[in-house]
Amino acid sequence: MELLVEGVSHAYGALPVLEGIDLAVRPGEILSLIGPSGSGKSTLLGIMGGLLRPYAGRVSTRGRPPAGCLNPLTYVFQDFALLPWRSVAGNVSLALDHHRLPAGERRERVADALARMGLADFAAAFPRQLSGGMRQRVGIARALVVRPAVLLLDEPLSALDAQTRDLLTEEFLAIWQRERTTAVHVTHNLGEALRLADRIAVLSRRPGRVREILPVDVPREERSAAARAGRIAELHAHLWALLRDEARAADLELAEPARGGR
Amino acid sequence: MSAPEARPVPFRGGGFVRRPRRLVSLSALFGLVLAWQAASWSGLANPLFLPAPAMVAAALWELARSGALAQHLLASLGRVAGGWLIGTGLGLAAGLAVGIFATARAAGMPLVSALFPIPKIAVLPLFILWFGIGEPSKVATIAAGVFFPTVIAAAGGVDAVPRSLVRMGQSFGLPAWAIVWRIVVPGALPSVLAGFRITVAIAVILVVAAEMIGADTGLGAFVLMAGNLMRTDQLLAGVVVLSLVGLSAAGLVSLAERLLLRWR
Amino acid sequence: MARRHAFSVFLASLGVLLAAASACAEAVSVAALRLSSSGPLFIAQDRGHFAAEGLEVTFRFFTAAQPVAVAVTTGDADFGVTGLTAGFYNLAGKGALRIVAAQSADVPGFHLSAYLATPRAWDAGLRSLADFPGRSVGITQTGSTFHYMIGLLARKEGFALARVRLVPLQSIPNMVSAFKGGQVDGLILPSSVALPMIEAGEGRLLGWVGDATPWQLGALFTSGRTVADRRPLVARFVRAYARGAAEYHAAFNQRDAAGRPVAGEGYAALMPILEKYTQQPAARLATGLPWVDPAGRLDVGDIRDQVAWWQAQKMVDPAVDAAAILDLGFVEGHRNVPR
Repeated sequence: MELLVEGVSHAYGALPVLEGIDLAVRPGEILSLIGPSGSGKSTLLGIMGGLLRPYAGRVSTRGRPPAGCLNPLTYVFQDFALLPWRSVAGNVSLALDHHRLPAGERRERVADALARMGLADFAAAFPRQLSGGMRQRVGIARALVVRPAVLLLDEPLSALDAQTRDLLTEEFLAIWQRERTTAVHVTHNLGEALRLADRIAVLSRRPGRVREILPVDVPREERSAAARAGRIAELHAHLWALLRDEARAADLELAEPARGGR
Repeated sequence: MSAPEARPVPFRGGGFVRRPRRLVSLSALFGLVLAWQAASWSGLANPLFLPAPAMVAAALWELARSGALAQHLLASLGRVAGGWLIGTGLGLAAGLAVGIFATARAAGMPLVSALFPIPKIAVLPLFILWFGIGEPSKVATIAAGVFFPTVIAAAGGVDAVPRSLVRMGQSFGLPAWAIVWRIVVPGALPSVLAGFRITVAIAVILVVAAEMIGADTGLGAFVLMAGNLMRTDQLLAGVVVLSLVGLSAAGLVSLAERLLLRWR
Repeated sequence: MARRHAFSVFLASLGVLLAAASACAEAVSVAALRLSSSGPLFIAQDRGHFAAEGLEVTFRFFTAAQPVAVAVTTGDADFGVTGLTAGFYNLAGKGALRIVAAQSADVPGFHLSAYLATPRAWDAGLRSLADFPGRSVGITQTGSTFHYMIGLLARKEGFALARVRLVPLQSIPNMVSAFKGGQVDGLILPSSVALPMIEAGEGRLLGWVGDATPWQLGALFTSGRTVADRRPLVARFVRAYARGAAEYHAAFNQRDAAGRPVAGEGYAALMPILEKYTQQPAARLATGLPWVDPAGRLDVGDIRDQVAWWQAQKMVDPAVDAAAILDLGFVEGHRNVPR
């Protein structure tokens, strides 16, 4: 499924955060959104999934969701957003509970999602018993269980330590390779974006505008290869050059006392 | 300059750890009763002002044997249960509404803040005018005493549910009732149960107050009558039973916490 | 200048002398209610009978009978004057209290306490004192004088007390509001409260307790310790009290040939004393001045009856001995003394 963002602007009170955003997320691609703090990345993701109402512009989808899709636009959250009183299986099935499904299919979907994230043995555990990485695996399993058309990943790895981040990136890519689910991925980590994305959209500092959309012209499977390290470094340097001045200015801006909400 | 002598780092940690010491709790209670009995034996405590534990126990036994205890206990428990259930039911509904809807909060919270501190005992005569002298006014007094803390606990519990969880529910397309029932209510449960701990005690306190007027059975009526008749042994026997009722109620709440909040 | 100085020296030494004289007077505290039934006490104080016995009396006022008995038990007061309740007998039975003289009594012709029916209960058939069974009656507390008066009525009319539903309401204002709200069918009320309600049509008069069931309502008492250790003091106190009772009786308990109240000797002089201590206007007091024995003599048989009745109700400890709580040695000629 394709996700179209047209002329979206948004403001928190008198503070403009997004201005004239136009984006087309192509079917089956991963689009990473990067930008300095306060560029409205997360706000834009909220608008794309219908959790926030933009004060101008519109978001639309084109194409049919895949068979068995229960929730076309599905989020994975930075803070996992797990219900502490539900077990791992209970958290995953939360996304299904309000749908009319045969009991067998419900069970099957949950078991399948848990198995794919390596959680089969932890079905009865409570979130507090899990490490951060395992918690986010539950978050991803919950997203997979509804067979989403578009995944909206809101800094899904930033609450995790570096090793867990790498592990989970690989796991996520392995799953994505099979499904080719359209995904929008918000991050402030350039390396993560370069590892995952087909294209990287760079937002300016507040109010956020699309400064550049950069295709990552290295096939995913070759991105960690030594031979392509040079090209990846080039892209990294290019992105960093785009971001650096913005980030510095944004940093100073944030240091001002009278700051509005993000 | 020679190398300075190595000195061990002194231990500074330890203490301030909660460890159950059941034996200590029991022997403290036992010791108190023993000291009290000893004071009575030695003539230090005038039996008129402070009857010996043995006299209190005898009064308790006499109460139990004659069947009066069961009668008073049942009457009071019925009132406590009725009043607590009504107050809790209404309080939870109002507290959830106050926690969820901005309009309900704006309208309800000042009212709750204004009405909560009113001693329910002081308005008991008013309740008697409204509900009559029989059971309804007693149940209403307890319900009113339980209602306000429940509203505050439930509304506070809803406030404590992370908004990110509600957004998560919305992002999965959960209907509003499912967000309330599966996310807001369980999230508010710890605070609500903490509130129960307070409201069961309030219910026991208020049943005594409510039974001061127009009741001939009930632990409160019994304690009051014992006071009027200057039967201090019976009075203390009634107080012991009341305290056991309070303890059992608190025990039930603890049990509920263990069952419902296993995930903590 | 010198003369003025000498005069002030004289005044100062007079002051010292007076202070020394009053220091000789024995300090005694008395617990009481602000009711006209305690009139003898107030009269003895203001007419100087206590002072004449070398007693310097201070009053401690309470609003219910129970605290008066408790105050004497705990030693917060040396004497107490109030109505006799089950709680009083339980305290007294443990050796804490001794009755030494009478306070007021309900006697025929003296309208102290009224039986009232609500208009609705009246319409439903509560027309006489025999109609109480099956109806509800408000009282202050279990074990109170109100409770006992209903018990007396049950005994006189020959019905089981259990057939009347007694509703404890803690206070007279609560009783009145429950009565007005129709929560109870009947009440016994002091005449000062009952008469305005009868006039306003809020209650129907069924009779007077004094006419139906005369009884010894109240007493003067002290602690067992005081009787044992300070017997002469008790004798002096009772003597002064009895003088007050005689003056009270002469002024307020007189009747003409038709049985109507008439002002007796000293009425005009003594009424202001009652007004001062009860904080009630004379007009209000005049309607319900209780009968007080002129010598403070007790109806001893009645007190024994009271104790026996409460014991039969299981509200007074069976170990309480009525004879042991009475000390009849301070007043001559107590009435109805069992042989």
